[in-house]
Amino acid sequence: MNIFSEIYGTYFRIAAKLLENEVTNEKSVRETINREGFRDSVLFLPQKLIPGNEDWGLFSRTADGDLKRIINAPPVKVLTKLQKMWLKAKLSDPRIRLFIDDMTFTKLKKRLSDIPPLYRIDQFRITDRFMDSDDFSNEQYKTNFRIALEAVKHRKIVHIDYVSGHGKRLNGRFVLLKMEYSPKNGRFRVYCYLLRNDKVKSSGIINIGRIINITDTGRYFRTPVSIDDYFSSRKCSSPAVIKVTAERNGFERFMLEFAAYEKHTVRDVETMEYTVELWYDQQDETELLIRLLSFGPVIEILNPPHLREQAKLRIIKQAELLENTHTP
Amino acid sequence: MAGFSELIKNFDKTRDYVREFFIYGCKVRSDFDRKSIRTYGDEKRRVESWMGDCMRYCDSVRGRSVSISVDSGHIPENPLYSAYYSKSFTDNDIRLHFLITDFLQDGHSHTLKEIVDALNISYGQFFDEQTVRNKLKEYVDEGIILSDKQGKTLYYSLTSDNADRFLQDFKGLDDALKFFSETQQFGIIGNSILKMLELKNDLFFIKHNYIIHTLEDILLPEILSAMDEKRYISLRVFSEKRRRKGDDIGSEKQAVPMQVLVSVQTGRRYLAAYIPDMKRFSAFRLDYMKSVKKGSICEDYDDLKSKFDRNMPHCFGVSFGIRRELGAVTPMKIAFFVDEEKEPYILDRLNREKRCCTLEKSGDHIYTLTADVFDPNELMHWAKTFIGRIIRIEGGNDNIRQRFYRDIARMNKMYGGDKDEHIQ
Repeated sequence: MNIFSEIYGTYFRIAAKLLENEVTNEKSVRETINREGFRDSVLFLPQKLIPGNEDWGLFSRTADGDLKRIINAPPVKVLTKLQKMWLKAKLSDPRIRLFIDDMTFTKLKKRLSDIPPLYRIDQFRITDRFMDSDDFSNEQYKTNFRIALEAVKHRKIVHIDYVSGHGKRLNGRFVLLKMEYSPKNGRFRVYCYLLRNDKVKSSGIINIGRIINITDTGRYFRTPVSIDDYFSSRKCSSPAVIKVTAERNGFERFMLEFAAYEKHTVRDVETMEYTVELWYDQQDETELLIRLLSFGPVIEILNPPHLREQAKLRIIKQAELLENTHTP
Repeated sequence: MAGFSELIKNFDKTRDYVREFFIYGCKVRSDFDRKSIRTYGDEKRRVESWMGDCMRYCDSVRGRSVSISVDSGHIPENPLYSAYYSKSFTDNDIRLHFLITDFLQDGHSHTLKEIVDALNISYGQFFDEQTVRNKLKEYVDEGIILSDKQGKTLYYSLTSDNADRFLQDFKGLDDALKFFSETQQFGIIGNSILKMLELKNDLFFIKHNYIIHTLEDILLPEILSAMDEKRYISLRVFSEKRRRKGDDIGSEKQAVPMQVLVSVQTGRRYLAAYIPDMKRFSAFRLDYMKSVKKGSICEDYDDLKSKFDRNMPHCFGVSFGIRRELGAVTPMKIAFFVDEEKEPYILDRLNREKRCCTLEKSGDHIYTLTADVFDPNELMHWAKTFIGRIIRIEGGNDNIRQRFYRDIARMNKMYGGDKDEHIQ
């Protein structure tokens, strides 16, 4: 029982997809491989599916040149023990109750009663999650989450009354685009556009935990919206450029910690220093700054100038504080 | 590249390459000198084939570097899952998979002989009994097929746990699958269910998303099962330093697994374990672990686990270290400047990020954090996120305090601040 098994693999999945229809053809085989396979699968897989010298014998050639499956019915889609054990483990995660109501939860638990969980929650410990995570078991939170999720799924227009990050009580009509979860914060947020007279006024993010009330207006936002446009409007205009040295294993630590960012790295073989360009969302600039500062002199912020300047101001302030209090 | 296949037998080697391309992204072929050029070429081509649009190339005088570049916070699916979907198999494996499951869809139980006969007569494919028996046993272990002994004969039938029916019966499960398929633990398994059902995550993005962790999931089932069974494990681990010197085998350690420690800020996951040879707890990075093997039962498991649970409140991160090396370490105290009226969010930050430390108001606009932790060094990486607010540091360890003062002086010089080099 291992997730690294051919039964979950891309080739088995493509074969299963093609075997759904009693009759298929070579064109469909190649199109499916192109769509569902790896980049090079089309070089290796067609000859295994199309009758010839190397094929697996899953199809036979019909008189009119089509391909007829040799099995009687479409392939079954059954859950393996590993998949059920994973599902069973998720029943102990409070977040599953955001998606599944109490009655369904009880039914699912009963259905999986003879399956051991793949893991127990207490076998893992998150060492550095923030302590003010969302309360996933709060009934109002669950209700708000579900309304928001439905709005995301169907592009419904919702009225939201919420508290902003600065503690201000705000409200408005929004179209919700996507949900975001941060394991570091233990929080769900929703990407949204604020609407005025049914037109997009501005983009934003609302924490589900800060929603006081969310109401479905019963209306849908019909204008096509691109999630790529949403993100590009929030992206930094130029990347943060960071010089990273090998001191204190800095490069390895840095690259791992910032692995979540889109980046480009160049190594200077003479100095053994690295220049890393990081693309970040503008609203996360302060978070990026403090994380960069935590690396101390192992790294240096080279660009953009305003980010370097913010680092400089904090460092000057810190040096002054130590000068006032520290006795050498 | 004769004989090249985009499928692989061994996950371990591929795990190394995917990690190198994803984490570093600036290495050229000659940096992989511990491998043959052929191996590098094959692995690179494979990763290119799996990752498609995520690949980036950069030409320099040293050669072409290859990287997997992903904005992990804005992707619907972890592209590294592809590595799991590339297991090689034999022609018989795929034939038997579809033929046996098709035959058993009749809803009845069948003996081995009936199944072998049916494959021959109904499908025109001849297999010997042993081959079919092995496949049936494998699928019974996987939970795809059920076996039932009647007298001396085993009867085989198909499990009734149809994935489509699960979605129909349990409203909301599809959305839960979309979410959990992109989060820890074992998101890859959720993704395998979505793929089977031809569903895609179109609802969630994951911020602070360390997608690389999926590569380590291959090791976890053995570790978790050893924890459940209270067993020793043998670990084969390596260090980046030793690998750079050509040591690709690593060293073997005996340990008693306690808990998997996950950092959602540094991108690392560890196995916390008791090391009998050293008579102490330690944490091993999962990404530096090659293999895990369960051993014998550990009779003292419950006692060790109780000790571990008593120790954990003194770990700021994952280190059980420094006290033993340096002798007693007094609690570290860090005083922060906070104007509660104008910047309440700083106080909020301290409170939500202080972990096992305590925080108290110790003066006008001064808050003091007390950390009674094994390794104060771990605290300092975090404390430096408050640069500009640290008034003083007391206790802990002199080396750590001095290093902080030196770091600030170096940074001040680096960023062109005033002449603070006297802070030594």
